[in-house]
Amino acid sequence: MNNSYKQNNPVSLSALLLVVALLTGCATTETIDGEVNPDPYEETNRSFYRFNDALDRHVMTPIAKNYVKAVPEPARDGITNFFDNLEYLNVILHSFLQGKLLQGISDVTRFVVNSSVGIGGLFDVATPMGLDKHDEDFGQTLAAWGAEPGAYLYLPFLGPYTARNSPDVAGSYFSNPLTYISTIYLFPVTFLNLVNDRANLLEASEFVEEASIDPYSFTREAYLQRRKYLIHDGNPPADEYDEMFELDFEEESEPKLVIE
Amino acid sequence: MMSFAGDRIPAFARMAHGNCRNLLLCALLVLLLPRSAGAAGMDEPAQAIAQFHGKLLQVMQQAQDLGYQGRYRELEPYINEGFDIPFIAGVILGRYRDQLSDTQRAEFNDLFSRSSTATYASRFNGYDGEAFREISRELLRRGRVLIRTELRRPHDEPVALDYLLHEKQGKWYIISVSANGVNDLSLKRAEYATVIKEKGYNGLVTEILSKIAEMENKSAPAEGK
Repeated sequence: MNNSYKQNNPVSLSALLLVVALLTGCATTETIDGEVNPDPYEETNRSFYRFNDALDRHVMTPIAKNYVKAVPEPARDGITNFFDNLEYLNVILHSFLQGKLLQGISDVTRFVVNSSVGIGGLFDVATPMGLDKHDEDFGQTLAAWGAEPGAYLYLPFLGPYTARNSPDVAGSYFSNPLTYISTIYLFPVTFLNLVNDRANLLEASEFVEEASIDPYSFTREAYLQRRKYLIHDGNPPADEYDEMFELDFEEESEPKLVIE
Repeated sequence: MMSFAGDRIPAFARMAHGNCRNLLLCALLVLLLPRSAGAAGMDEPAQAIAQFHGKLLQVMQQAQDLGYQGRYRELEPYINEGFDIPFIAGVILGRYRDQLSDTQRAEFNDLFSRSSTATYASRFNGYDGEAFREISRELLRRGRVLIRTELRRPHDEPVALDYLLHEKQGKWYIISVSANGVNDLSLKRAEYATVIKEKGYNGLVTEILSKIAEMENKSAPAEGK
């Protein structure tokens, strides 16, 4: 779920994102040397990437590292479970919106079990009972309904999105019960969620740092592929694995990419 | 996928209609297909993956004793012989490959092999009860085979590892690896294209060499090997 950063005014932000989504919906039809370009706003996206990266390096990462030192792992697991459980209402909604009835029923049961037996979601007692955790959101629902991904967007504070997934900013905000608590509690609780999320991603970000020579392209490709994977519920059609190898078969030792 | 507009017939009805019409044809095809040959044909690629996983597991279990350099030495022949490096390098470079001389292509193949081995040696640096498991085998177009596996972790969710293999001169080679849906080849293709565009081929070589050195320097002193 893309909720690393939350905004004070998600309604106006999501309205803006919807406009952006509509405006950018056809942007992927642009091509570079005949290949579809999923990132027509690369220059702007890269500026936002640098901004988020600087913010992350100088503010979020140091806080997250100190948080890991100060808070023992079982407590961090409990905090992660608590926030995951609250955000699960969004998953339930989108399981049903995608017509996954049995999954939706399982998700409701999971939420009820974790909220009650799991003491407000602090413990994930549902998974060992066979109530698997699913990952659904607005973008996946729109994909199931036939919407195209649109342009890749890298947003300040929010990170990577596709135009199709951008309305999820509002969706996940309104479906989260935390939205409706008093502002006095909302800010510290949201801050804890942010820091905890960032702490959970420390290893992943170290891997990106270590493995990539252009972190922006790496993040974009990984995000776009991950979205496809989630849309297919972790079971993409086998032929998709083959797509990038549309070669001139007779010259397989000298591969040439056939442009779609 | 369903569409928003255009088709008045519901998606499930179109599917049912298509299924009924093609049922007899499909049944005939299934009966006529040389099933035993297909299944047997996938044993070899599956064994290649099992062998690679066996080596990874061994390296993970002996990670501390071997150290980074030891893991690199152990994995190097498996990467060089198990992966079709020239083919993968060609796909990653895409249209830029045509602009390289034969010497540069050979240099890039070597560099790519070293970079891949360094990444495996750096990441598979410990053992905590992990196990590999084959999930399924599928025969794709042009005789390629997809082997879906998972890396089970006792304290975390499993990682889906999907391998695409092709046969060349009677031997099966890995040509692509995806982890939880993220394909290593696509990532590198996108990254390398950007670096070549900005810094040229020599710039790419410098970046890859520096990344290899970074992985070595980070892993080796930390492990005292």
